[in-house]
Amino acid sequence: MFVHLQGPWSPLLGRLSAEQLPFLHIPIIEYTFAVVVLLGLVVVGAVTYLGKWGYLWRGWLTTVDHKRIGVMYILIGLVMLLRGFADAFMIRLQQAMAVGPHSPGYMGAIHGYLTPFHIGQIFAAHGLIMVVFAATPLLVGLMNIIVPLQIGARDMAYPYLNAMGLWLTAGGAALVMASLFIGNFAHGGWYGFVPYFELSYSPGVGVDYWMWAFQLSAIGTSLGSINLIATIVKMRAPGMTWMRLPIFTWASLSTNLIALTSFPVLMVSLALLGLDRYLGTHFYTAGMGGNLMLYNDLFWIWGHPEVYFLILPAFGIMSEIIPTFSEKTLFGYATMVIASFAIGGVSWGVWLHHFFTMAAAPSVNSFYSVTTMLVGIPTGVKVFNWIFTMYRGRVRFELPMMWALLALFLLLVGGMTGMMNAFASNDYMWHNGIFVVAHFHMMVLLIAASIFGAVEYWFPKVFGFRLEQKWGKLFFWFMVLGTGFVFVPMFILGLAGMTRRLDYIPYAAWAPYMQIEMIGIALYVMALAFFLAHLYVSLRDRSKNLAEADAWGTGRSLEWMTHSPVPSYNFAITPHINTRDEWAWRKENGLTELHAGEYEPIHMPKNTGVPLVIGAFFFALAFGLTWRIWWLSLISVVLIVLMIILRSFQKDTDMTIPPEEVERTEKRAIDTLYPSSRADVPVYPGGTVGTATAYQRLSASEDVGVSSTGTLPHASVDR
Amino acid sequence: MDPQGLIAKTSYHYFLLDVGIMLLIVVPTAALAIWAMIRYRKGGKGTYQPKWAHSWTIEAIVWGIPLITVGVLSYLSVKAIYAVNPYNPGAISQAQKKAGGDPLEVDVIATDWRWLFIYPKQHIATTNELVVPKGIPVRFRLTSTSVVNDFIIPQLVGMIDVMPGMRTKQALVSDHIGSYVGFSADYSGAGLSWMHFTTKVVSKHQFSSWVSTIQTDPQKLTLNGFNRFARPYIPVGEKSQPKFGEVQQGLFDLVVNEVMKGKTWKTPMDMTENMVAYLNNQNELQKEGYY
Ligand SMILES: [Cu+2]
Ligand SMILES: [Cu+2]
Repeated sequence: MFVHLQGPWSPLLGRLSAEQLPFLHIPIIEYTFAVVVLLGLVVVGAVTYLGKWGYLWRGWLTTVDHKRIGVMYILIGLVMLLRGFADAFMIRLQQAMAVGPHSPGYMGAIHGYLTPFHIGQIFAAHGLIMVVFAATPLLVGLMNIIVPLQIGARDMAYPYLNAMGLWLTAGGAALVMASLFIGNFAHGGWYGFVPYFELSYSPGVGVDYWMWAFQLSAIGTSLGSINLIATIVKMRAPGMTWMRLPIFTWASLSTNLIALTSFPVLMVSLALLGLDRYLGTHFYTAGMGGNLMLYNDLFWIWGHPEVYFLILPAFGIMSEIIPTFSEKTLFGYATMVIASFAIGGVSWGVWLHHFFTMAAAPSVNSFYSVTTMLVGIPTGVKVFNWIFTMYRGRVRFELPMMWALLALFLLLVGGMTGMMNAFASNDYMWHNGIFVVAHFHMMVLLIAASIFGAVEYWFPKVFGFRLEQKWGKLFFWFMVLGTGFVFVPMFILGLAGMTRRLDYIPYAAWAPYMQIEMIGIALYVMALAFFLAHLYVSLRDRSKNLAEADAWGTGRSLEWMTHSPVPSYNFAITPHINTRDEWAWRKENGLTELHAGEYEPIHMPKNTGVPLVIGAFFFALAFGLTWRIWWLSLISVVLIVLMIILRSFQKDTDMTIPPEEVERTEKRAIDTLYPSSRADVPVYPGGTVGTATAYQRLSASEDVGVSSTGTLPHASVDR
Repeated sequence: MDPQGLIAKTSYHYFLLDVGIMLLIVVPTAALAIWAMIRYRKGGKGTYQPKWAHSWTIEAIVWGIPLITVGVLSYLSVKAIYAVNPYNPGAISQAQKKAGGDPLEVDVIATDWRWLFIYPKQHIATTNELVVPKGIPVRFRLTSTSVVNDFIIPQLVGMIDVMPGMRTKQALVSDHIGSYVGFSADYSGAGLSWMHFTTKVVSKHQFSSWVSTIQTDPQKLTLNGFNRFARPYIPVGEKSQPKFGEVQQGLFDLVVNEVMKGKTWKTPMDMTENMVAYLNNQNELQKEGYY
């Protein structure tokens, strides 16, 4: 043992014992556990019954295909979003019940139904899950799927590393989920309070769970950011100069630069906390020379850029959806790019606003107040540019557009309240209050809205059919209503002076607001039901909603050029880029059906199970460390190192798809999409067709004089 | 928001300015967005110009409006920060001149999970109850024994962090006689929700008579006694909390020093999983004089 621990420890099981299994004695967790076990059995049973284990293993678990990895990221994100929402529901219920000294208490609590210790865990889990295990994987997944398609690449620069990032994130998510049934979670907020998170004040395993889950996802996200940056810098199709880069790709680049520079700081700040908790050092303790402000500085040097790490891709999504559904070019492309990088740049210099109340000198607070407000400039520019994109357009209110516009309005509210927080003297009044909570929920909901928009928007690209619109619209409107009912009262309470993370609210006068928030939560629950119906109906009627390559008819960027669903190699022939908004340009010039002659062999990475296995060992390592089961951690480390060494000797990591197979796949894609008449197809994916029609059209378009541009997509560039 | 003191009023003044300016920008922007959505909807009356994507005039406006707004707000923000700065609030100094005499000094120690208010000049201390005279500036020194807390009395003064092993400052002047609530705003563990205190603003006369009543209290507070007092304790309910008629000289600095040297008041594991049982136990211990 390195440090003195409260409670027993044994060499075999570490701190783990039967008392640490809360589902044995806490009713709420008992039921949850039963449901989870049942669901797990259903899933396993279904896969076995359908005989899909082989498909699951070959097609998904060992894949290095950037699209499938992206889909799995999004699945993790959705599952964790659900969990985070369940946490939010429990918090709101507690706060609605536990108002005023006369409110009754149940199940060991004095007021409401949750003890402070329990609701503390829920607060921490809700925050960590929503930021790190829902929003982040959802956006990383989207970037994973879309960026290579938008730049005309076959896959990411490092497909194996890509899978590694996914399985590390999955390991972290699994660790958070494990804390639900084995032991407990941190109960001091998602961003970690020191010295509260030191062993003296958080003696249980909760903080260790939090720390290692966070650490795993941080490593995973950093690996992902290296990969995306390399992909965008090195893997662009010929002709795609920087100023022809689709705007979402620009956003991804800026966001991953932020990730690469800030996530390592997070790893260090968590590692130092680990040293404190495991070896008894004093980095963040109050006494013995420790300095708790060190943690706050280090954490928020990551924490604030992380906010923009999430918001920039959301802005990128909006910048893709709004032009498509305005049937018009994005207004101020260069400005948008500059604004993205300006936001990214400023993000490194604002972190102190997370502790304005720490009594820094007024000159220091002034500096950070001003830098924080500076973010408002590029953000404001973006809002205006989106509005001017709609101006003189033809705005179609389909689901992706509705979400994007919702995000725009949420940004107005969130941006305004954010500027109010940046105004430090306001912040003094409500720094650790509900107003700040309501503000950043506006921002996170904006991110969520653009994610939902992005899923609607790119779903047909990935799966080959559009989602239906009826239930989706109900889902949308109930989300809007729920947001209003939850957050308007929250803003009011924030101004009234209510503070954060209360498990009991002493003022009976605030009860009505809490109850209105509860109505909002009920609306959210209905929205969730509509969302599930939306998915179910879409899946059931998928044959009715089959999508063409250009699923919305007015797509502008490169991803709309290849089939829906996208074949594993993305583009049969790597396209040449002639302009910004390449696909829109090709449609205008009748160049949608170009063919390059012969298909060429395509060089692709091979599946590998190594990342999954390493991810599992990382989970075991973190689990062992959490419970201080030293032998388990040791074995895991040895196995991880061994796997990495073994993998590095593996020579057979790639394969070549022969041209005949490419041709077969291309034909099949066209046949399923347009079974009746091939000749009358309105839009053919670029550079794909092996039929006579395509050749005829090519010569026709050459007559128009397009060949004079000299950049017809003839060359197939192998990476 | 119902400011009753000088600092809170100053903040409120700047708050109104800030919100006013923001609304001036945000409301027209929202209106513009809605107008564009309606006017240029598909099948609507708006002209369609798919290629129109750039205009220097609009770019200038688009950058200009946020730039000017942020400039103005930044100026106001810096002014406001200096006006309510807890270390040297200009407003408080002016009030001091007007009131004459000395400011009231109060040392605040946050424990898990109670507030101890020490009046060093008067040699008294109270728990979860702060009494101050109306119109006289009050200057606080604050520290914590265990974790970070946040001291706030919404109607009188904004938040200031209260940190273990460190000392922060705050100041306030109150305008009206009355009773106001104070909180701990930063998460400090299981007792956070009950860690509130009452602030009574009384007349000068009432204040001095209150001081003499407390001074007659037989309880004394020394460092040793404080070490017992600072053990984790959840003050549920409105039970009256200990008052001390005599306080060891320089107790505040002694506590800061102890914490800097590494003294901690550990949280027992799983102390609140069953709140009701825990509190019964706590009551038993209190009867035995544990706290
Ligand atoms: Cu939340
Ligand atoms: Cu921030």
